Formats: sequence, structure tokens, C-alpha cells
Amino acid sequence: MLTDLLQYLVNGLIVGALIALPALGLTLIFSVLGFVNFSIAALLTAGAYAGWLANTTLRLPLVPVLLIAFVVAGALGVLTDRIALAPIRRKPTAQTPLMVAVVSIALSMALESAYRFSFGSGLNSFDMPIARDMKFGSIRVGLQQLHNLEIAIGLAVILALFFSLTRLGKAMRAVADNVDLARLKGIEPVRLANLATFIGMGLAGVGGALLAIDTSVDPSTGSRLILLIFAGSVVGGLTSLPGAVAGALLMGVIGELGLLVLPPVYQSLTAFVAILITLLARPGGIFSGASGVRK
Amino acid sequence: MANMDRRGFLRTGLGAGGLMLSSSLSPSWAQSGGPIRIGLIIPLTGGTSQFGATMGQAAKIAETEINSAGGVRGRPIEIVIEDDQSNPEAAVRAAHKLIDVDKVVAIGGSYASAVTSAIAPLCWEGKTVLLTASGADSITKLPHQGYIFRTSPTVTLQGTRVGNFAVELGAKKMFFLGPQTPFAQTYIEIISGIFKAAGGTGSGLVYEDKKSSYRSEVDQALKELPDVIVLGGYVPDTSVVLKDLYRAGFTGKKVGFSFGINDALTKAVPAEVSEGAYSLIPSASENSDAYKRLIAKMKRPSLDGYSCQVYDHVVLASLALARAASGPTNGTAVRDNLRAISEDGEGKRTDDATEALKLVTSGGRVNYDGPSGPLEFADNGDVKGVFFRYEQVQDGKLVVRKIG
Repeated sequence: MLTDLLQYLVNGLIVGALIALPALGLTLIFSVLGFVNFSIAALLTAGAYAGWLANTTLRLPLVPVLLIAFVVAGALGVLTDRIALAPIRRKPTAQTPLMVAVVSIALSMALESAYRFSFGSGLNSFDMPIARDMKFGSIRVGLQQLHNLEIAIGLAVILALFFSLTRLGKAMRAVADNVDLARLKGIEPVRLANLATFIGMGLAGVGGALLAIDTSVDPSTGSRLILLIFAGSVVGGLTSLPGAVAGALLMGVIGELGLLVLPPVYQSLTAFVAILITLLARPGGIFSGASGVRK
Repeated sequence: MANMDRRGFLRTGLGAGGLMLSSSLSPSWAQSGGPIRIGLIIPLTGGTSQFGATMGQAAKIAETEINSAGGVRGRPIEIVIEDDQSNPEAAVRAAHKLIDVDKVVAIGGSYASAVTSAIAPLCWEGKTVLLTASGADSITKLPHQGYIFRTSPTVTLQGTRVGNFAVELGAKKMFFLGPQTPFAQTYIEIISGIFKAAGGTGSGLVYEDKKSSYRSEVDQALKELPDVIVLGGYVPDTSVVLKDLYRAGFTGKKVGFSFGINDALTKAVPAEVSEGAYSLIPSASENSDAYKRLIAKMKRPSLDGYSCQVYDHVVLASLALARAASGPTNGTAVRDNLRAISEDGEGKRTDDATEALKLVTSGGRVNYDGPSGPLEFADNGDVKGVFFRYEQVQDGKLVVRKIG
């Protein structure tokens, strides 16, 4: 029983690591721009396709593949944000965050259809070796999944440093806190919004590429996971970067531990019950008040 | 916009997420008069879409053949294709549109069992024939008043074949892994039953599809120390399960179905992951001239049985309506005449849709056999006389092991 528990815990962390990066991206964009950009689902897929193309046509190894996934997803994220979402944000009303969120869903579907048109509905696998798991006692751990976890945590740390140490990071936090005050101080919110979108979508792109190396990429890769990503971000408090990572890991762990008591079919239920309980107990998310973008 | 509070935001965000799941991309257009319309609800997108494109192409070929042979009762037929998005909800919207707006006489395609189960009541209530390529036994047990014809072998039949085959391979302990579908539990019971009768054991678990990892499910399966794992999923989940089985070091036998282990799957996973996996494939009537003509027209070396069935859906509906030489052109006419053109023992046997249509139009009797098989139906609408092929993955490609 204890072995089962440990094994499911490890499996849960591995699942959580896969959604941690896109959850980080979603949280970052929400912190700076004030709306949930659901098109992160499609941009996660964009990163996965970019990585897949880089790996299978240019024969590139892991690190350049992830860099390309980051840049392509980030750039496409900024471009589509400028075309479809920014015009709606220009004249803000009380309903604007909802409207932008809904348009971002439409954007996500448009992008997904574009992938389907370009690449077909099939599953595409990376040309990378698949390794058998390592065994620590009776606990199995996948090498590649372990890398995913490291990369997710590493990127979260880098982001945290960026926000607390650099001028640009501080400026972003200022915009997140109060756009008008930030503008009075000479900060250009549009440029920062672009940067936040670029980094946020880039993170999702890296997450997508890692996920696709683990599984495969098809046009729906991102949209299958969007609710789980959103859940991770919400549980983490929506504005806390460490919270996003912790929320994603928690979603993964709760889902897998749920298997001990519930049939596997109800697995996503456990995750959503977790959101409900978290928000009832702490409406601001488990990490509300913790250090993040917004203090 | 920064002053929207977080709870308000969450409400809208969750609502928006829900919208995303339930939205539809299907086009809608209205037409009137002239052609006789036959609807097609096929998976062009989503998890079950591996055969969607070829299903549509095969149906279009049937449409061209029927129309160049003079059409049905002097009118051309027109195929109206709707994408079910591998999603019962979208399929229900599509069925409403086909029945209420396009006034189709029959709906063909209908592949995933969840999709077929969802649209079946709309069809019989709307007196529209439903020709389906789905397997779940429950479908023809519905009170369908004869409006449902199934051209695919049932789950019970496929499960029995897979179970027997796994026993033949020498396996003793079976474990079934499959997603939540209308047939998952049936598979576990049937295949476990076969193993128990042969002196072995069998069990299984039903998982949630759309997951990015099945490590814990695989752990649960391997705890039973199975020597064969039966994979009951579609391609996206089966590819992840196979990878996780490989990572976990499973070396026993793997047996699956054609909707999960097929060319799309072998392309989606590294060769060592799928190596040795067996697949049970309801076979088209591959030695028939009908099949050879169809693949020649589609310019393909071979064609899956499901696309052949969809071709036959269009031909069957057209021939049935042509036989009802007078009276209204509706679903009831298709229902009442379908058996007369596909299983008339005294009719002229032909596997050529053009020849069959000419014969029927001139008042002759015909027994049409299509590229998918002899097309004879039991009283409940289930097809009889189906062939299966057993294939195995070898170096990343499926090779035929046995036909029976």
C-alpha cells in the first residue's frame, strides 16, 4: 500500500510537471494583462508542432528543439494577440475580461483548425529514443519525465528572479498592479503586455514540446489539457508564479492519488473537486499572498 | 479591467471553458428541392477521426456512381457531410440539421458507438434510416422500429474473436485496458469469460480518455501480472498507454482492435513501442471486384473496412429508394426496401452499384454485395457474415497473420 502511494505520488508529480509550464504561462499573462488567455491551448500545440518539425526535419536535439518551441509559440502568441485580442482590450469596460477570454477561445479554435488543415488530424511522434523507466527500490521513475519536472521548476525559478531582480520584471509587476500609475511613471504597458504574452506563450510552447516528446502531437494536444491547466493556475491563485507550479503539481498528484479510492474513469472529477475545496477554503487560491508577480 | 474581482473572473473563466468544450464548428447551409439527400455523420476531427477522410471520399464515389447511372427515380442524389467531431453532442446537432433542415432519407457513417447511440433516437423518431459502422451491441437493442442497419460486426463478436485469439496465443492471464465507451465493460466481461472458460483469469479497468499519462493505470494493470493486455482504446489514448507499457517494462503480449491499433498508431509511436502488438480488423471483402474497383477509383493500394461500409451505406440507401418505384421518397421507403435489394435470394447477385441500380430501376430483382461484404442483415439490423483479419506490428508496420 505504501509503495502504491509513493508510486502514485511520483506519477502525479510527473503529470503535474507536464502542465506546470503552460499553467505558469497562463498565470503570467493573467497577472500582467488581467484576463485568462485560453488560446494558450492552441499555442501549446504550436510549440509542440514547432518542436516536432525542428526535431524530425532538422534533426535537432532536445535543447534547441525547446528553444524553437519557445520562440515560435511566443511569437505566434504575440501576433495573434495583436490581431484578435488587443483591439478588444483598447476600450475597456467591465465586461472586457470576459469578452477577451471568449474571443481567445475562438482564437484557439481557429488556430486548431489551421493546424488540422496544415498537418492533418494524425498523431505525430518525435524522433527521440524512448527509455525504459529507472527503478528506485520498487518505485518506477521515467528519465524524460524527470527532466520535464526539472525544466519546469528551473524555468519557474528563472522567472521569479526576473520579476524580483530586473527593471523589466519590476515594471511588469507595476503594470499588473495599476496600469495608470505605471503609465504615469513612464512605463509603456503595450510593450510589457507583448513581453508577458511572449514569455507566457513561450512557456506553454516549451510545455507543449515536452508533452509531445512524451506522447505525440496532434491538433487537439492543447485543448485536451486546457481545463487542467486552468485548474492548476486557479488553485495556485492565478497571480502567483510559484503558485502555478505548485497548483499544477497538486492537480497531477490529486488526480493520481484519487485512483487509490476511485475508478480511473472519475479521475478528472477529483481535480475539480480539489478546485472547489480550495476556493471554498481559500478564495484567493492556496498561494494567495505568497510572493509572485503581484504582491 | 484589472478591477474585476477574482471570483467574478473565475465564474466567467469557467463558463468560457465550458463554452469551449461544447462549441461547434459545423457549417450549416440550407437547400431546397431537386436532389434526394443522404446525410453522412462522420468523424473528420477528434480522437476517432483516423478513417473520417476516406469515409467521405468513398461516399462521394458512391454518389458519383449512382448519379452517372441516372440517379434515383429520375433525381440525383446528394451527399450532405457533417463532422461529428468525435463528440456525441456535436453529432446530435448534426443529426438535427440533417433530419430537420436537409430532410435526408438516411444517415450513414456514424462510427463511434457513443455518437451512434446519441443520434439513434433522433433517426427513428424522425423516420430516417440510420446506417452505422459502430460496434456497441446496445445500439440494435434500442426500439428502433427497423430504422437501424449496422454494417460493422458487434462488440460481442469482436470481443469474442479477440478473446479466442489471445487464448490461442497461449496467454493465461488477461488484463483489459480501455477508455470509457459504451462497450468497455462488455469487453471486460466477454474476454474475461473466455479466459476463465479456458482455465485462465481475466480482469480489467476502464480509464478516462484525453489523459497525457497512464502510468498509474498501467501500474494497476501490471500488479495483476498479466501475460496479455487487451487494449480497447482509440488511437490517441492507445498510443500513450503503449508508451507507458513500454516504459514500465511490460514484455507480455498486446492485442487490440482496428480502431486503436492501425497505421495511424504505428506512425504515431516509435517502432519498439508497438512492436509485436496484434490487431483484430473487421475486413472488407478484399477479394471482391467491388473492393478492387473502389480502391482503384480512390487511387489507394488498400482501404479500411469502415470506409467500405460508408460507401455501401450510400449505395444501399439509393438502391432501396430506387426499388420503391412510387410513393414518397423518405426514410420509411428506404427501411422497407433495403433488405429486398441486399439479400433477395432470387435476385441477380451483383457487386456493381451501377449495374444494380439499372436493374432495380428497370424493375428487376437484385442482390447487392458491396466492397464491405455480402450485406445481409439479421432481424435486429445487425449485419451477418463478417470477415476478420489478424495483423501484427513488425518493425513499425502491420502485417497480416491470419484471416478468418
